[in-house]
Amino acid sequence: MPAKESQKICMDCKDADAILHTRHRHYCGACFKRFLSHKVAMRMSKFKQMKKSNGKAPKLLLPLSLGISSSVLLQIINEDIGRQFAKTFVNVGFEVHVLVVDAQGGANDDVYDAVSKAFSRLSFTKLPLHSVFEYVSEMGEIIAEYANQNFVDQEQATNEDRLTAFRTTISSPTSRSDLDSVLLTRLVVEYAKSLNCEAVIWGDSDTRLAAKTLASVAKGRGASLTWSVSDGMSPWGVNFDFPLRDLSKPELEQYLSVCEELSGLVVPDAPISEDVLTKNLSIDDLMMRYVRTQGEKYRGVMANVSRTANKLQSTIGSDDPSCPLCGGLVGNVKGNSGVTVANQSSDNYSAKFCYGCMRSRPESSIK
Amino acid sequence: MAPTACFNCKEARAVIIRPKNRHKLCRACFLQVFETEVHETIIGTNLFYPGERVAIGASGGKDSTVLAAVLKTLNERYNYGLDLCLLSIDEGIRGYRDDSLETVKRNAVQYDMPLEILGYGELYGWTMDQVVAQIGKKGNCTYCGVFRRQALDRGAAKLGIKHVVTGHNADDVAETVMMNLLRADLPRLSRGTSIVTASGASDIKRSKPLKYAYEKEIVLYAHHRQLDYFSTECIYSPEAFRGSARTLIKDLEKIRPSSILDIVKSGEDMAALVPSDGSQHSTQCSSAAAAAEDDVGGCGSQNGRTSGGEMAAMEKELAQNESAESRETEIRLPNRGQSSLGYQSKSVKKQTLGHCERCGYISSQRICKACTLLDGLNRNRPKTAIEVSVSAEDEETSSTLMRQMERTQLTNS
Repeated sequence: MPAKESQKICMDCKDADAILHTRHRHYCGACFKRFLSHKVAMRMSKFKQMKKSNGKAPKLLLPLSLGISSSVLLQIINEDIGRQFAKTFVNVGFEVHVLVVDAQGGANDDVYDAVSKAFSRLSFTKLPLHSVFEYVSEMGEIIAEYANQNFVDQEQATNEDRLTAFRTTISSPTSRSDLDSVLLTRLVVEYAKSLNCEAVIWGDSDTRLAAKTLASVAKGRGASLTWSVSDGMSPWGVNFDFPLRDLSKPELEQYLSVCEELSGLVVPDAPISEDVLTKNLSIDDLMMRYVRTQGEKYRGVMANVSRTANKLQSTIGSDDPSCPLCGGLVGNVKGNSGVTVANQSSDNYSAKFCYGCMRSRPESSIK
Repeated sequence: MAPTACFNCKEARAVIIRPKNRHKLCRACFLQVFETEVHETIIGTNLFYPGERVAIGASGGKDSTVLAAVLKTLNERYNYGLDLCLLSIDEGIRGYRDDSLETVKRNAVQYDMPLEILGYGELYGWTMDQVVAQIGKKGNCTYCGVFRRQALDRGAAKLGIKHVVTGHNADDVAETVMMNLLRADLPRLSRGTSIVTASGASDIKRSKPLKYAYEKEIVLYAHHRQLDYFSTECIYSPEAFRGSARTLIKDLEKIRPSSILDIVKSGEDMAALVPSDGSQHSTQCSSAAAAAEDDVGGCGSQNGRTSGGEMAAMEKELAQNESAESRETEIRLPNRGQSSLGYQSKSVKKQTLGHCERCGYISSQRICKACTLLDGLNRNRPKTAIEVSVSAEDEETSSTLMRQMERTQLTNS
């Protein structure tokens, strides 16, 4: 009954009217924001402890997509830093640098300018995705070997043209989005290393992590889950961390709805079109849709997916060869005696690149 | 449109588009390729040894019929030296099983293999028809699955055979991987994909030689070899709804046909990454428990589906855990052996294995699943003349007793 609904008061402060609802609790805007901030603070506390133990504040890189999740993470961290600065003894605990990777040719430049102005306490960098050729100097050779014979990497061309040429050789939406995220990860990692960052803090919600887990499994990248959705060491010597892993996308959307500081600073998600045939979706999109629709009814089950993946044992530190493109393991994880890899293909590529990358390879086909 | 030549032999006219990679093949090449892939799986995993006696778990459905046909062909072509036979379980579902059993009987003649049929009625004192009459159509697949698991092992033991092969295909395995991920079942994730589930305790080895074969290709193979199989689904199955995982996999296959195999590959890798407590003993136990409990999901090609109730129940439990968390105070032990960033070392709960106190079957519980289910059934069964003699205090032993008595009854009649 709507009349009854409007009389609800916040279950935390027992004062203001409750306007938001999550996890069977009703909150006012301020208490809701505090609840989410607390969840993030719990995840961030390990960095503060690190400072306590060795006296040096760790450097963190926050890749900002300007979308909802990473913007909320930025806001929560910025607020925390602000609170620390207001104290007599300032103890921030970590140093945050923000990186925006532009994959769309400057489409969101105005938002970037506004964000970097609004969060003036933090340092910002913007890099185009094609600068991956600069930061990963051997990338030209890697993709030349990886792509099919019709593709020749023109080293004298601009990086932008090189990237475009490479992307046009890939025909399926799944492979394109797969390789885009591989390149993005490589760029973020190399940039983090150039700044001597200890960790990259990704703004993935648990909804996104669940979708990413299922999509990775479906793309044959199960072995990479130990770093692509889990907290811990990545293959490149930089830690990956996911401070929003306890929060769902709908919760972050609610946060945004009551957060004045972020108004006008977030690029909204592209609306999900209902008309696209399933077969034309990318696997990443399909999984995101699946997790969101199932998450409405089974929030806990979906959140559990990424938690399960987070329990897998990392293979980082083993001497097994890794894929020059995505950093994943080449061949099977030790102890896996399956013959999927042997069934895969007769060409010699599979000896160099990992299973998942071979699947996204232009014109790849399986035997 | 001019007919396309076969991708493989470049001569004959292509009549098949392979679901796995969209290659266009002629009939002969398709059959050849399909058989060769199964052969490679068998060789690559050292599945059999020469002279081994192998029982094929045969339901009369497409998967097990194709398995029997392919194994017979390969056994002759590559001289595996296997002694093959068919093993069928009669669940006692009138209108489904009696027809499919006829198919198996014909198969036995066609492939010239001995056939053994074992009934639920004879093993447990309950046919599936009686179970359904008792508990209704909802959830009866659990009973069927649990009972069948043991029935195959007992059948094999009766024949003195130590290796049972089943017709699980790549779709089934992929479904199981997704399922176990969704229900956060790490122990099952660690063993659901392995081709062999050997069990130290009952020394009957289970394997699935078709684990890399697509369901669609199995249907095509059966069609093009004009195999005699029974295609009606179990009459009780339409009641249970196909799990989330199954729909998801069908969608994935539309997007990228290879994804079924890709999920199998991911599943195999993840299985190796599931943390164990390190001792050799526990890994052995888990694979044995697999043999005992893997098929809880249900039957044949529908293995791995889940009812909505299961998912909702898990959701409820998770929500309760979460709300309880806020009322708890967490007490942590001081950090030990952790990395500088405080990433915690990972561990999962392990199952330990023993024997069922009632029937001696391997089980991770005191009483195995089948006996537990039987208890529930027998408690509600109308008292028969036989059971009147059993006093209420003896209820614990009544199920076994009754099973024995019914067996006597059956052999008498």
